[in-house]
Amino acid sequence: MITQMQVKGLMFDPYNNAYIVVLRDEEHSDMLPIWVGKSEAGAISMSMENITPPRPMTHDFMKSLLDAYNAKVISVVITDLSEHTYFSKIHLMYEDSEYTVDARPSDAIALALRSNAPVFANNSVITKQSSEELEQWLENLKPEDFGKLDS
Amino acid sequence: MSALDLPKEQDLVEYRVDRVLEEANTDTRIIVLARQNDAIDTFPIWVGAAEGNAIKLALDTMITPRPMSHDLIKSFAEHLNITIQRVIIADVKNSTYYALVHVSNKGVERTIDARPSDAIALALRAPCPIYITRDVLKRRSTTNLEAWLAKLESKDIGTPEVREM
Repeated sequence: MITQMQVKGLMFDPYNNAYIVVLRDEEHSDMLPIWVGKSEAGAISMSMENITPPRPMTHDFMKSLLDAYNAKVISVVITDLSEHTYFSKIHLMYEDSEYTVDARPSDAIALALRSNAPVFANNSVITKQSSEELEQWLENLKPEDFGKLDS
Repeated sequence: MSALDLPKEQDLVEYRVDRVLEEANTDTRIIVLARQNDAIDTFPIWVGAAEGNAIKLALDTMITPRPMSHDLIKSFAEHLNITIQRVIIADVKNSTYYALVHVSNKGVERTIDARPSDAIALALRAPCPIYITRDVLKRRSTTNLEAWLAKLESKDIGTPEVREM
């Protein structure tokens, strides 16, 4: 079973000097925080804020390559969590065939946002609302804390 | 798709990635390209830290536990049978270099606009040759780069720490 997730925002995690991409399901009952590096967060943030950089960033180039041959990103699935690492798959449609490509969630999400493709998560991966601490932290966040990067 | 003109064969000079340098106190890296069969002629390109690291990883043939962004691009190409033919540093405007990635699939050729850092990171992984047009070589900056690069030499960057998320 998979659940469709929305990319809700990005937060800075000062303890790990990393960024957290927050995915939530549509009923807002499940949440999936994924830690990513600074440049990966930048790639996601640009797309969320509809910023068009003067030059194509890595994921813009990635999409250009797919566009050049009419290959379409159908969906992205966060498939697994193993030893604190999330795994994901990108599903592509090209010439009536489907292809599944292994990717880091940060790349998969950055590409999904640029392709208007849905992001899903395997139910086994979704963190249930057990982490109250993180939940509270999220509730205390102001809207302006989301989607901003200081770089 | 692409209306980008592919430069003519005779206007291209092949280069290879010689090394990646760290610029002190800034978040930038310098990719030093050297002319094929002629190490004396070097061509530096300033890139961001993440971009520089993507190139450094490939230059050192480091295998990361998870595919990095340019490994994913290569993976897409492999799945779709797209051949990365070559990359070309084809223009320079306001001190910014512009690159083209020349690809083909079953005889259908495409030229894709890219930053040199993405083009080079992909070229090393493909692998495919890297060219600079004679026009760009003519118009490059004439500062005494050699002397300046020599100063940096001792600071050759180590392999970046790969953080898998």
